[in-house]
Amino acid sequence: MSSTAPAPGGTIAAGSADIVETAKAPRQLGPSPKMAIGFLAPALILLVAWVIYPIVYSIWRSLFGSNDSDFVGLSNYGAIFTDSSTLTTIRNNIIWVVVAPLVVTTLGLIFAVMTERIRWATAFKLILFMPMAVSLLAAGVVFRLVYEQDPDKGVANAIITTVHDAFASSAGFPGARPRENDQAPAALQGGAVVTKGATTLVPLVGINPQTLASAAQAGQPPADGGTVWLDVVRGGGGAVNQIDPQEKALAGLTVEALSGGKVVATATTADDGTYHFPGLTKGSYSVRLPADNFKAPFGGLTWLGPTLITPAIIGAYIWVWAGFAMVLISAGLAGIPRDALEAARIDGATEWQVFRRITVPLLSPVLLVVFVTMIINVLKVFDLVFIIAPGSVQPQANVIALEMWRVSFGGGGNQGLGSALAIFLLILVLPFMFFNIRRFRRDEG
Amino acid sequence: MASIVLSNVDKVYAGGVKAVNGLNLEIKDGEFMVLVGPSGCGKSTALRMIAGLEDISGGEISIGDRVVNHLPPKDRDIAMVFQNYALYPHMTVEENLAFGLKLRKMPKAEIQKRVNEAAKMLGLEQYLKRKPAALSGGQRQRVAMGRAIVREPQAFLMDEPLSNLDAKLRVSMRASLNQLHERLGVTTVYVTHDQVEAMTLGDRVCVLRDGFLQQVDTPQNLFDRPVNLFVAGFMGSPAMNFAYADLVRDGSGAAVSFAGFKLPVPDSTFTDKPGLDRYVGKRVILGIRPSDFEDSVAANGSSGGWARIPVTANVTEELGSEINVLFTIDAPPVEHKDTVAAAHDGDEEEVALPLTGDKSLWTARVNARSHVRPGQSLELVIDTHNLHFFDVESGLAIGHEANVGR
Repeated sequence: MSSTAPAPGGTIAAGSADIVETAKAPRQLGPSPKMAIGFLAPALILLVAWVIYPIVYSIWRSLFGSNDSDFVGLSNYGAIFTDSSTLTTIRNNIIWVVVAPLVVTTLGLIFAVMTERIRWATAFKLILFMPMAVSLLAAGVVFRLVYEQDPDKGVANAIITTVHDAFASSAGFPGARPRENDQAPAALQGGAVVTKGATTLVPLVGINPQTLASAAQAGQPPADGGTVWLDVVRGGGGAVNQIDPQEKALAGLTVEALSGGKVVATATTADDGTYHFPGLTKGSYSVRLPADNFKAPFGGLTWLGPTLITPAIIGAYIWVWAGFAMVLISAGLAGIPRDALEAARIDGATEWQVFRRITVPLLSPVLLVVFVTMIINVLKVFDLVFIIAPGSVQPQANVIALEMWRVSFGGGGNQGLGSALAIFLLILVLPFMFFNIRRFRRDEG
Repeated sequence: MASIVLSNVDKVYAGGVKAVNGLNLEIKDGEFMVLVGPSGCGKSTALRMIAGLEDISGGEISIGDRVVNHLPPKDRDIAMVFQNYALYPHMTVEENLAFGLKLRKMPKAEIQKRVNEAAKMLGLEQYLKRKPAALSGGQRQRVAMGRAIVREPQAFLMDEPLSNLDAKLRVSMRASLNQLHERLGVTTVYVTHDQVEAMTLGDRVCVLRDGFLQQVDTPQNLFDRPVNLFVAGFMGSPAMNFAYADLVRDGSGAAVSFAGFKLPVPDSTFTDKPGLDRYVGKRVILGIRPSDFEDSVAANGSSGGWARIPVTANVTEELGSEINVLFTIDAPPVEHKDTVAAAHDGDEEEVALPLTGDKSLWTARVNARSHVRPGQSLELVIDTHNLHFFDVESGLAIGHEANVGR
């Protein structure tokens, strides 16, 4: 940069000075300062019009209320730190700044190191870098769908429910219940179904028979047990509390035999709905179907609810930026001398020690640049929050940049407070900007 | 300390390039073995296989009595010095030296003791707190050596450790290396492309070419009794002179004639080189070391019985203590694949300008007292006891014990 205007005559070697004189060239090399100003002027004008003036005007405007003739002094800034909704935005921004840059940099480092040693590394990097080519708005729309509550629509919940169901079976009949009348042989007791008196038949209702179309017919109760079935005949008919031919069995339910309130035997209903307690001595027992049988299936997490919304949006942000971090870090990794890593291996380091004590320290300048760049980026986050958070949870997901927009243009109508927020954000970003610029300058020097 | 044995070691790179081919080499306990050869001959690959930085495609490497084929480098108890030092840039000299010991969980006092000893031995004491970036090339080289020494390993592996130093420093470091080996007596494998380093440092030198072992012997034996044209052309600087010649025997005894010259071949040569008499009357490749020439004027008297040839000096290179005289002889240059490979050290495609036409350019090293100037005629005497004869077809040295029966 400094070469655009060389110091007059200062760097000319003694030997070449007389050549310059004999050629009768102007005493100074390069264009005159006037010409330099002429060339710089357009950029300067644009810079002033689009950067300097807006900043100065924002500072000025932040001293006024919603009406720009209504001078309020610094009370807009006071409002930022007293209003509970803006305090939420600051809290959210802190969460963002603490979590997102760290995770992005760490993931980028892991990907960069891993891709070093796989084949098809370029393809892998390309795919990871792809989200950068998508606009943040589009990424927001994508993740709005990813985080959809219904596992049939949102892939996040689809994955979680699939994994959950693989470990905890959700077999059961949510909604099934006994009839609520005195003739019914069983009744609800704290979510569980318990028979009344000495009966082994457990007729249930509350399930659409269509969902059981493929189930077996209910079988007659065996001597050492009973039957659990759906006591409903499609299209009507059939006797209440009795096993009719078209009535379907409820298979796979847990059945417990109770004696004096204690569980003495446990069984599971077979395909025809029958259950057996073979070892039970004669006596009086009541039969209980524990509440687990009737639990609603696991539906995944409420990503877009007020508690998880910020982590969810941070997840989307990481998806977008991890590839970027990886590409920067791989470039840094390529600059690490191979020999140093090999020397460490021969010196007795395991792969982890090589990574921890050689690779990471040598990469630290790059890691720092990525980290700080991410901090700046995260402080300004706007679009992802705006798109992903549904209107109802926006107050919980809010960040400073979004609040600034919301207050100024999105219905708040208070451009004074909006300007104050903008200046606040600028002040937060500045130290990191200075840090990065100083680093770049040191690298050049 | 331990011996290192390579038996039938192969290295095949992806794509089928065979960098090392059936290498058999036994490096004795405490020996300084130099692997030498032109670029791409597989010497560095062989070293890296011993170090464990490259997989071994075939064969077996053992250090001491352990087969190390599948041991990672850290378990082989070896230390390596790299061409560009490979110091850890983010650590001070002291930390660089101590790194390997810390990884081995050595007590602090012992680390300190060893680091200080090595620093003293290498004259690095005042630099211990510096980072490598603040050191000169020679100092970095010494730190790299120190890092190997403190480990007290079974063997040192050195991969062209002196090639990044300037010429003067290289000579002094070479001497230091020699002393160091004398003092520590650790088995050392040293890779270089510089045959002067090989000659001066090695207890034994192993010449490699295209992944094949050519000859393993003491430096003097390599110089005096090269096994083939390649070794003859590669070892020695300036390189050996070659010409096609006819071996004849007439009334005055055996002689070799080439380019209008006729040099008598002493009878002792025939006893030294069994099988040479079968070549009488046939064409051979004659090799003469530049150092076996002398200016007849400067050598007055001491050249009794030496053959004399008159030549005209084309170029003279005055080195102070001696003069290299380059002259053409009226014979086509020997275009055997081995001599070409030896002359072309690596990637330089054409070494000499083709100014000599179909004549060969020979070099004679004569005493500086000769004062010969370019264009002058002079009479050279040749020590005919040191003539080398090679088979025209195979390029093998005639009468070398390794070639008998081949």
